[in-house]
Amino acid sequence: MSIVPAIRARGVVKRFADLEVLTGIDLDVARGAVTCLLGPSGSGKSTLLRCVAFLEECTDGIIEIDGEPLGFGLGPNGERMRLPASSIRPVRSKIGMVFQQFNLWPHMTALGNVAEALVTVRRLSRSEAHDRAMAELDKVGLAKRAGHYPSELSGGQQQRVAIARALALEPRIMLFDEPTSSLDPELTGEVLNVMRSLAETGMTMLVVTHEIGFAASVASKIVFLDHGRLLVEGAPGDVFGKPRHPRIDQFLDTYLDRGAAGLI
Amino acid sequence: MSWELFWLLVEASGLTILYSGVSIVIGFVLASGICAAMLSSHRLTANGGRLYVSFFRGTPLLIQLLLVYYLLPKIGLNVPSEIAAIIGLSLSTSAYQAEILRGGFQSVPRGLLEAADMCGLSAFASFRRIRLPVAVRLTLPALTSEAIMLLKSSSLVSVVGVVELTTMAKDLASSTYQPLPIFAAAGLVYLIINLVVAGFGRLAERAAKRGHA
Amino acid sequence: MTSLLSYLTGEDGRNILSGLINTCILWVIGSGLGAIFGFLIAVARRYGPRLIDYVLQASVEVIRGTPFLVQIYLLYFGGPYLCLSLGEASACLTLDPFEAGILGLSVYGAAYYSELFRAGFEAIPRGHVEAAETVGLDRWQTLTRIILPEMTMLVLPSMVNMTILLLKETAVLSIISVKELKFQVDIIGNRDYAFVESFTILALVYWALVEICGALGRAAERRLSRYRFAHS
Repeated sequence: MSIVPAIRARGVVKRFADLEVLTGIDLDVARGAVTCLLGPSGSGKSTLLRCVAFLEECTDGIIEIDGEPLGFGLGPNGERMRLPASSIRPVRSKIGMVFQQFNLWPHMTALGNVAEALVTVRRLSRSEAHDRAMAELDKVGLAKRAGHYPSELSGGQQQRVAIARALALEPRIMLFDEPTSSLDPELTGEVLNVMRSLAETGMTMLVVTHEIGFAASVASKIVFLDHGRLLVEGAPGDVFGKPRHPRIDQFLDTYLDRGAAGLI
Repeated sequence: MSWELFWLLVEASGLTILYSGVSIVIGFVLASGICAAMLSSHRLTANGGRLYVSFFRGTPLLIQLLLVYYLLPKIGLNVPSEIAAIIGLSLSTSAYQAEILRGGFQSVPRGLLEAADMCGLSAFASFRRIRLPVAVRLTLPALTSEAIMLLKSSSLVSVVGVVELTTMAKDLASSTYQPLPIFAAAGLVYLIINLVVAGFGRLAERAAKRGHA
Repeated sequence: MTSLLSYLTGEDGRNILSGLINTCILWVIGSGLGAIFGFLIAVARRYGPRLIDYVLQASVEVIRGTPFLVQIYLLYFGGPYLCLSLGEASACLTLDPFEAGILGLSVYGAAYYSELFRAGFEAIPRGHVEAAETVGLDRWQTLTRIILPEMTMLVLPSMVNMTILLLKETAVLSIISVKELKFQVDIIGNRDYAFVESFTILALVYWALVEICGALGRAAERRLSRYRFAHS
C-alpha cells in the first residue's frame, strides 16, 4: 500500500468567467518535504495554493489533505460532489497558511494575533494561550515584540508573526503564498531563515515563491507552472540542470538573481 | 450682550445636546439593522435598505422633520413635538450612519477574514473578533463627522416649535433687538460643542488605533 | 390624481414653477460661487503666507462648526446691524432674503469645498510633481497641466456629494422667506390644510433632483476614470 501524500490534487481546474487559470493540475506533495511552486506571474501558482487552502473553490477536480477530501469529494457513482460545509473545518485545521500581505489583524498585538485562535477555536484558557503564543513568537525570534501592534512592526517582523500565528495551531502542512514578495530585499532574509529552520524540523511545506535560490537550496521538489498547466516537476537539480525546458530558461533569465546563480 | 443672555443660550444648548445625543444613539441602533439589510444576500431586503438610505439622504432634513411632525398625528400618534423631532432626526441620521457602516464593513481587507478562516475561527467569531472591530475603527472618523453634522442640523427642529439653542437665540434676538451678538454667541456655543465632540472622536480613534476597538 | 394635477395649472402652477426655478438659481449660483471661493481659499492656504493659512483655517472651522440656519439668521437679521462707516457715509449689510440666501450658501459651500480641494492637493503624489519638475515644467505649468487635472479626478466624487448637500440646504432658506420651491409649496399646503401631501410631494421632488444629480456625477466619474487609466 502506497503512502498517502500530504496533499493530493487531481484534475484541478479553476475558471474565472471565461478565463481558465488552472487547466487540470495533478499534484502530489510528499510528507516532511518542501515543495516549491514556481512560475511566471499569472501562471496560476497562487490560485492553486488558494484552492488547496479552499480559499478559492476549484471549478473541477478533487483536492485531498492527508487522504481526506477538502470541499469536494467523489460520490457513490464516482461523480464530483460538494461536501457538507461542516466537513471543511476539520480538514482545513491540518493546514496553516501564510499570506503575501501578512494579513495580521491590525487591532490586536503580535501576541493577540497568535493567541486569538488558541482561545476562540482551541478553547485554551487565556494564560495557556498566552504561554503557547509566547513560545511560538520566541521560535520566530519575536518574543520581545509580543506587545507591539502590527503597525509598529517591520514587514519582515509582521510576516514572522504571521508564521507564528499559523504554527501555533500545530498544522501538519504549511502553505506559503509568496511570503517574501511584499518585503524589501533586506527583510526577505529573516523570513527565509525562519522558513529554512521550519523545513529542518520536518514540516511539510508547499511554497509559492520567486526566491529561486531558496527553492534550489531548500526544496526537495520543484513544480513549475506555466499558463495554468504543470510544465515540469522534479528535484531542483533535474528542473534547473541542463538540458532545461526552454520556458524555464526564459523564466530563470527573468527572475534569477546573480547571487542565486551559483546555487544551481 | 449681557452674561445673562449668554447663560440662557448655554442652558438651551443642553437641550440641543440632549436631542442630538439621543437621536445619534437611536440612529446608530437603526443604522446597524439597515446596514445588515443592505449587506444581506436577500435581494428584496438589500433593496429595501438601499431605498431607505437613498430617501433619507436624498431629501432635505427640514422637510423630513415637517413630514414626521404632521404625519404622526394623522396616523393616530399624538406625541409632543420634541418626540416628533427626535424621531425625525433619528431616521435621518440612521440613513447616513448605515451608509458609513456599510462602507466600513466592505473595506475590511478580505485577507484579514481569510486569515481568520485559515485559523479556524467560526463565521461568528470572525465577525465579532475581526470584522466588527476593524470596521468600527475604520468608520470612527466618519461617524464623528456625522455626529457633528447632526448636532448642527438639530437647529432645524426649531421650525416645529421645539425649544433648543437656535430657538432660544431667535427669541432673544427678536426680543432684545440684538441679532448680531446673539446669533454670533449661539454660533460660538455650537462651535465649542462641536470642537469637544471632534476632540472625543480623535481620542476614540487614538484608543482604537492602539488597543481593541 | 386629478386634484393634484389641478395644482399644476393656473396661479399655483406658476408659483410652484417659479419656486423650482429659484431653487435651481440659488443652487447653481451658490455652489458655483462656493466652489470658486473654496478653490481660492485652498490655493491661498497652500501657497500663501503662514498667517493667511491660519486665518483662513480658523474661518473655515467656524463655518463648518456652526449650523447653516444660524449663519443665515446672522446674515439676514444681523446684517443690517453690521455697518461700515467712513466719515459721514456709512453702509450696512442690509440684504433681501434672496441675496442673504445666495451669500449664505456661497460662504457655507466655500468652507466645505476648500477642504475638498485641500485634500485633493494633498492626495497628489509628490512624485508626479517632481516628475513635472524634472522634465522642465515651470510652477504654473505644473499647476495647470498636472495638479489641476489630477485633482479634478480625485475630488469629483466628493464635489458631487457637496453640491447635492447644498441643494438640500436651499430648502432651509424658506425659513427666512426666500421664495424657493419649499416656500411656494408651503403656501399652498397651508392654504388647503394639506401639510402631509405637500411635504410628501416636496420630498419626492428633492429626492428626484438628488438622484439625477448623483447619476450625472457617477457618469462623469466613469468617463474620467477611463481617462485616468489611460494616463496613469
